[in-house]
Amino acid sequence: MSNPGLLNELVAALRCLPGVGPKSAQRMAFHLLQRDRDAGRHLARVMAEAMERIGRCRQCRTLSEHALCATCASPKRDASLLCVVEQPSDIAAIEQATDYRGLYFVLGGRLSPLDGIGPEELHLDLLRHRLHEGGVSEAILAISPTVEGSATAHYITGIAEGSPVRITRIAHGVPLGGELELVDGGTLAHAFAGRTHL
Amino acid sequence: MFPADRDRLQPGFVLHRRDYSDSSLLLEVFTGEHGRLPLLAKGAKRGRAPSAALLQPFTPLLLAWRGRGEVQTLVRVEPAGRPVALVGDALYCGFYVNELLTRLLGRQDPHERLFLFYQMVLQELAASRDLDTPLRRFELRLLAELGYAVELDRDAEQGLPVQPHLYYVYSHERGLLPALSPQGDGAVSGATLQCLSRGEALSGSQAREARRLLRALLAPYLGDRPLRSRALFAARPRRPAGT
Repeated sequence: MSNPGLLNELVAALRCLPGVGPKSAQRMAFHLLQRDRDAGRHLARVMAEAMERIGRCRQCRTLSEHALCATCASPKRDASLLCVVEQPSDIAAIEQATDYRGLYFVLGGRLSPLDGIGPEELHLDLLRHRLHEGGVSEAILAISPTVEGSATAHYITGIAEGSPVRITRIAHGVPLGGELELVDGGTLAHAFAGRTHL
Repeated sequence: MFPADRDRLQPGFVLHRRDYSDSSLLLEVFTGEHGRLPLLAKGAKRGRAPSAALLQPFTPLLLAWRGRGEVQTLVRVEPAGRPVALVGDALYCGFYVNELLTRLLGRQDPHERLFLFYQMVLQELAASRDLDTPLRRFELRLLAELGYAVELDRDAEQGLPVQPHLYYVYSHERGLLPALSPQGDGAVSGATLQCLSRGEALSGSQAREARRLLRALLAPYLGDRPLRSRALFAARPRRPAGT
């Protein structure tokens, strides 16, 4: 292969990004070096700072540069509602799509024994504490409808036992604009079981 | 592979899946004819009708795959029935069964009978409140199918049938032996052994004894790495009986 050097190192480093292969990594590197060095410097600075300063919110475990994230710190949010999600990106999706005004809890994944992910990895003790300390009246489980997701939901229902919190989960079913014929049997069965009164 | 054989749909289950790139899944599949094998489901998470919803554990499937090398590519998948409705503790047990298979089965060893036993244990876990009996039965069958069959109905020294009121210990080298004392380490009652070898329902204390025995029987083949699903089951929050 060709000479190892700073340029190659840059290309190789860019490949750590999801969906970036050798070709696009090379394009990015050439673009930054030839056309937009300022943007490159800015990217490097922000990246370095973000990697150092962004941690986890102590209350909801989302990514945050402060000990308490903006959502948890906001007095405008309804603290009696708690939405449990898998990833910080799920919060962004919910914020954009819905008018939910409650707080969140980020698990960071779902219970999956075969991947070695257990209750500790998901900080379920912290969630248990949150549910039992009072103040939360409803916990909405917005967890992927997979078998691991349903194991996680079952576990959370278990740790909420004895607390006054009502546990709900978001509806599973036919996607809007979708055609019934194309929906798989499992989803359709779920949609039927979870039908609502009109 | 002959052209007629190509893309033949075969019954199978997904034991485990993980994300592979943004749109694909890497599956660990269990079939009767080919045993356990890894399959790559390209584009399973996108498209007009993504197959990710179907490619889940505990769903009977028909699968066709192609390719050479260790990881072949899934080319077709169809449902072969409804997903086995495992909920709550039964779901954790399902994970346990899948973890046993991923840990103990070699890849591409045919296991026709075990494939049937697997479907039976899933059905039993879904249908019954007693999770111990079907699990122990499956574990014994699994050991037998792997070639490590254990004889639990007679004592290995004198060949006498197990007596319900006596106690026994199991030695990996020598088999089933009379226990010196019922409280001894790993002693199991003859009544429990009879239930196990006949596949009969285990009562509460028998279930505990049988669980301990099977754990010891499986241990040498599982190695040092603990089973994560077992740890999850032990750590699960207990709910009051009747819920």
